[in-house]
Amino acid sequence: MTPALALDAIDKSFDGFRALDQARFVANAGEIHALLGENGAGKSTLMNVACGLYTPDSGTMRLFGAPTRLSGPRDAAAHGIGMVHQHFKLVRPFSILENVLLSRPPAAGDGAPYSRQARSVAQAIAAKAELLGAKVDPRARVDSLSIAEQQRVEVIKALVAGARILILDEPTAVLTDQEAERLLQTLRRLARDGATIVLVTHKLADVKRFADTVTIMRGGKTVAELDPSQASIEELTRLTVGDALPALPNEQPHFGRRRLEALDLTVRRADGAPAVDRVSFFVRAGEIYGLAGVSGNGQSELAELLMGVRTPDSGLIQFEDSGEAFSAPRPAALRSDGAAFIPADRYRFALAGALSVTDNFAIAGLRRGRYGGWAWTNIGRMRAETKEAIRAFDVQGVRSLAQKAALLSGGNAQKLVIAREFSDAPGVVVAQSPSRGLDARATAAVHARLKAAADRGAAVLLVSDDLDEVLKLSNRVGVMASGRLAAEFEQPFDRQEVGRAMVTHG
Amino acid sequence: MAEASSPGAPPAGASRGFGRLTIEVRRSVSPQLRIGALAGAIAIGLTISAIALVLAGVPASDLAQEFIVATLFDPTNLKAVFVQAAPLVLVGLSAAMAFRVRFWNLGIEGQMIFGGVGATAVSLAHAGPDSTRLVAMFVAAMLAGAAWAAIPAALKLLMNVNEIISTLLLNYVASDILLHLLYGVWKDQDGFPHSLKYSASELIPDILPGANGGLVIAAAAAALLVVVTARSRAGVYMRFVSASPSVAEALGVPVRPLVFSTVLLSGALAAVAGFVVASSQEGRLTQSFYQGYGVSGVLIGFLARNNPFAAAIVGVLMATLVIAGQNLQVFYGIPQSMVQLIQAVIVMCVAASDFLTVHRLHWAR
Repeated sequence: MTPALALDAIDKSFDGFRALDQARFVANAGEIHALLGENGAGKSTLMNVACGLYTPDSGTMRLFGAPTRLSGPRDAAAHGIGMVHQHFKLVRPFSILENVLLSRPPAAGDGAPYSRQARSVAQAIAAKAELLGAKVDPRARVDSLSIAEQQRVEVIKALVAGARILILDEPTAVLTDQEAERLLQTLRRLARDGATIVLVTHKLADVKRFADTVTIMRGGKTVAELDPSQASIEELTRLTVGDALPALPNEQPHFGRRRLEALDLTVRRADGAPAVDRVSFFVRAGEIYGLAGVSGNGQSELAELLMGVRTPDSGLIQFEDSGEAFSAPRPAALRSDGAAFIPADRYRFALAGALSVTDNFAIAGLRRGRYGGWAWTNIGRMRAETKEAIRAFDVQGVRSLAQKAALLSGGNAQKLVIAREFSDAPGVVVAQSPSRGLDARATAAVHARLKAAADRGAAVLLVSDDLDEVLKLSNRVGVMASGRLAAEFEQPFDRQEVGRAMVTHG
Repeated sequence: MAEASSPGAPPAGASRGFGRLTIEVRRSVSPQLRIGALAGAIAIGLTISAIALVLAGVPASDLAQEFIVATLFDPTNLKAVFVQAAPLVLVGLSAAMAFRVRFWNLGIEGQMIFGGVGATAVSLAHAGPDSTRLVAMFVAAMLAGAAWAAIPAALKLLMNVNEIISTLLLNYVASDILLHLLYGVWKDQDGFPHSLKYSASELIPDILPGANGGLVIAAAAAALLVVVTARSRAGVYMRFVSASPSVAEALGVPVRPLVFSTVLLSGALAAVAGFVVASSQEGRLTQSFYQGYGVSGVLIGFLARNNPFAAAIVGVLMATLVIAGQNLQVFYGIPQSMVQLIQAVIVMCVAASDFLTVHRLHWAR
């Protein structure tokens, strides 16, 4: 059988850094083909080559046996290749319909009046949505949709453009258990109908359950291609990581006073409906408090309230250490009281992508006056401490301290954020989906850092859509449903019971 | 993000046997590369301009003579360049600082007017002894310009009024206030609508023969701002506000106080430019002393990429161009529009060079 997509001996360097080194990838029609690897292994780069975003330095690409050179994503779409990126390529203020229209490759009927084109595209959207087992309103604005719904729009966009090869970059990273399950079932169905599905992922469980074939990459090279049903989890892990994962120390926690307390926090959406509805809880010293919930039930709004980037309509955030209670907290005030934040939307709230690694790390210390007063900054010390932190927190891919933060891979960018946020032994930590999109090793490192902060006496609030993560790390768990704190659980947790609370109150 | 595409590349399949130009985002841009690209762009712009001038009838052999020898080696012309450079550098710095905090200050002319008004008020009031009069005028100009800039800054921060519109429109208000003064209480005894001539102690003196004190003020301001932007805490904060206001806010940068005070600084710098023009060129407050500096300031700020050191260099180059242009008009009958064309060509070359500093081009087989 001729493979649907075959990439052979692909090389790609960025400014001297070799991201792909003779990489190879072959996928057949009708299969779900997982591409497995750590952050920075080259998975996304290779798939960006396949979807026409990057031109390889050398190597060949064949589509259904025919040698192909892609001049860009539009050309790739015309060849039937569609990609759903980890960071969605959607115009947020546009409607679903407008986004699909915008990305559609040139087709017959392009000269028709806009209203007729819009109607035919709306029909195509409805047809593809039905194929996915979902209902969508083509006139809904993208920024009014949840992450899972936005992802669905990306898939529909690719299908309307005529994709026969669908590449999804870490699609389950942003979804809840149930949403991920549904997505993977849908992809199964598409594959059965003859599509080629490429699943870029680091979740071994997804690979085992859903992939027909898995290609494993490490350090820009393809290291294995095998049938996941024939391989053990341990074997897949070894091939992916190369060596063993760091294990979490297991210590008995002891809790102190309440360091962070939320009192009747309420915030409304633009339409007046409460997104967070009179939520109260507390986090004690040494405790990790997990907030779980199906995404879109107010957790992200609550996390933003606690990080000071959203102002509550009513309610208070109380810091016991300083005795301060905030009704309209600003990040500067919260940080001065010893709070540290790990937001989910990294490039909106945590890292200035256009600035250097040094600036992004040192800004916290600079604010505290660590590098001198207002008039003069000790740049040498900033650089030295950044260098030290990069080493201590194992941030990889930093080739120069002047390198832009935007060029770090997801896991390494997150490590840089954590290095900065933990540089001053914070008393309160708010972490929002801290391991989203990270590979196993980076996730383990992030979890270890959160545990260590709690062991040091910090109050850690963990807001996450990943129930496994919440149950694994937390000492207590709260469940959000429809903006309310629906239930709280003490250890030992019953996964079924927590899961039920997430859906029954909604 | 590292997105790259290749516009203009031949369609797939048609490129066999040929290389293909690909474009990549650079991981980091060194200062040397930045300066080199800027210098290269200006050189290319000047070359294109030279060709245009030759086509317009200026003998090629005279070009170097006019541009370099006559402008920079003739003491009278050189002095004219320096006198012209001081306010241009100052308005360039004013624009660069405001742009650094994402405040699009198009109100430079209005702030210049208030600088001139503040200085003239001190002059007319004979405030303080003669020996400190210039310093008093300088301070009054800064305060007046900062106060005028505070209006759009407060409107933006408190009521979210778009500063592009408010600063632009406030220029007309400032100009009407100026005319109101010059046709009213400040009208000269000779009946003309300009203020009384400044006394000798109110004119900015030459520091060295041929070098006006205005240039010293501009150079000192540029040097101070180089240190502020590169080494002070406020400079780092400005970088964050410039890169991403939402990130800056979330990291605890005092965004609003920073924006407000930087806009006041920008207004004060423009006002000093107004004071320098009034005191070293006109010798009094006139109706039109500020005209044209608003656009020049924005242009210099843009060409300098909001960098104060580059703004100083570009300001001097711009002054050279202005004086050389005046000579070309006088001696070769080259129209004023040709001088504007040269400016436009240089601006376009510099704007285009940015693409090459941010991206790397290379041929892929």
